Amino acid sequence: MHEEIAIGGFGGQGVLFLGRLLTEAAFREEREVVYMPSYGAEKRGGTVWCNVTISDERIGALFIARPTIAVAMNSASLTRFEQTTRSGGVLVVNQSLVPETVAREDISIVYIPANDLAAELGDSGGSNLVALGALLACRAVVSVSRINKIMEDMLTKNPERLEINKRSLNRGYSWTQQNTQAARQV
Amino acid sequence: MFEKTLMAGNIAIAEGAISAGCHAYFGYPITPQNEILEHMSKRMPEEGRVFVQTESEIAAINMVHGAAASGCRAMTTTSSPGFSLKQEGISYLAGANLPAVIVNVMRGGPGLGNIGGAQGDYFQATKGGGHGDYRVIVLAPATVQEMMDFTMLAFELADKYRNPTIVLPDGFLGQAIEPVTMRAPVTKLPEKPWAITGAVGRAKNIINSFAMEPINDQPRIELIRQKLERIRQDEVRFESINLDDAALVIVAYGSAFRSAMTAMQMAREEGLKVGIFRPITLFPFPIKPLSDLSRKVKRFLVAEMSFGQLIEDVRLSLGADAQVELVNQFGGVPMSADEILEAIEKIMK
Repeated sequence: MHEEIAIGGFGGQGVLFLGRLLTEAAFREEREVVYMPSYGAEKRGGTVWCNVTISDERIGALFIARPTIAVAMNSASLTRFEQTTRSGGVLVVNQSLVPETVAREDISIVYIPANDLAAELGDSGGSNLVALGALLACRAVVSVSRINKIMEDMLTKNPERLEINKRSLNRGYSWTQQNTQAARQV
Repeated sequence: MFEKTLMAGNIAIAEGAISAGCHAYFGYPITPQNEILEHMSKRMPEEGRVFVQTESEIAAINMVHGAAASGCRAMTTTSSPGFSLKQEGISYLAGANLPAVIVNVMRGGPGLGNIGGAQGDYFQATKGGGHGDYRVIVLAPATVQEMMDFTMLAFELADKYRNPTIVLPDGFLGQAIEPVTMRAPVTKLPEKPWAITGAVGRAKNIINSFAMEPINDQPRIELIRQKLERIRQDEVRFESINLDDAALVIVAYGSAFRSAMTAMQMAREEGLKVGIFRPITLFPFPIKPLSDLSRKVKRFLVAEMSFGQLIEDVRLSLGADAQVELVNQFGGVPMSADEILEAIEKIMK
């Protein structure tokens, strides 16, 4: 397996956290993994991005030019990913903040209202986990249970937060399965 | 067995230094290596060792001089503009035959530049950025694991030769997070009978880099010359990949090497026989291995994140009849695998 995942959004949307979760999960599943964050002034309100490469082989480039999976949490990152996502790949679009649609037939696109779904669960900051759920519904790069376990380890002192996070993740996963063609047929 | 953990490159440098028995760390903040300083500020006191955030890069390198003269393992870390400021101190360390580790997590330049990763300090690091006849051993990591391992190796080589040793990653490697296997702490440090330790019950030791009469200075300078010969002879390190059938060889180090790995894979999928030669020691440069390779392969592509610095050493090593092309990025912009692949296709198709 070899997946190159690019995630982009505004600072504060949890883009880097989403990348770190995927990286930690891949690490625990004993795969080769590289996490590369954006680093600089763009953190102050502009677009933040990160790359996660997960593979069974020794990983070359630190940077991803053409992701196999992309998550666009804002319009600026969609502008980049709609062109760069590799043919046959997956593009998750946060429809709550991104009104644009993508005219590509060669990739699977999930338009998911991530902010709205998170807000319905009372988790206004959970759009990143909803998007992660959507990603995992399309490509099982790591297991959902692995992500849940990592969050359990991180949030031992905050069981309420943990429950909210798990709900957001699962909401993204099940919404994608119910509402899109892109989800894997189980 | 030591555990595997996820770690950023900069943290791996700090932990490598601690495992190597670094007793004193002196640093001044500069991006993109601040995580080293930050991590050391917490870990060195935990270990009962010395951490000083100095008032400048110049102060840091001179404190390293003092600590090294006293016989302990000492390190400073910085990024490009700060590395320039340390050059006088590095020349003095080399001149005084003192072991020390200097890490330069390179960023875009010249001048104040920017905080992206770059490889523009190649000449400065490998050719002696300060005054006088000296060279320093330069190690170029390309993975987070090597950030740790080469920092440990740098301490070992510095002590072995009583010479400053530089670890030279680029800023992107400092930020990258990868799995790392932790290393056992070094428990037995080398004896340093030359160190300044108070001279109780023994003749005094003198450490300096100055003599009034040139003739009196010859033994010190001859020692430097001889050890550089031994370093050239014994410490060359490199990695070669897919050279057996290669019709074209990419030469690259650091994160440019990582992109070259991906470019090589893509080229091979197209049926293009590409290999990689990666210098690990930038000084001593692997002159002979490259020269030997040039008898078999005639086409080379240097991929570097600078105007064309590495390529000069490659050309000198290969001789006149090899075809050597350059593909590069600079000024804090990463080198992409696609750019390297394009250059490969241009040469081979």
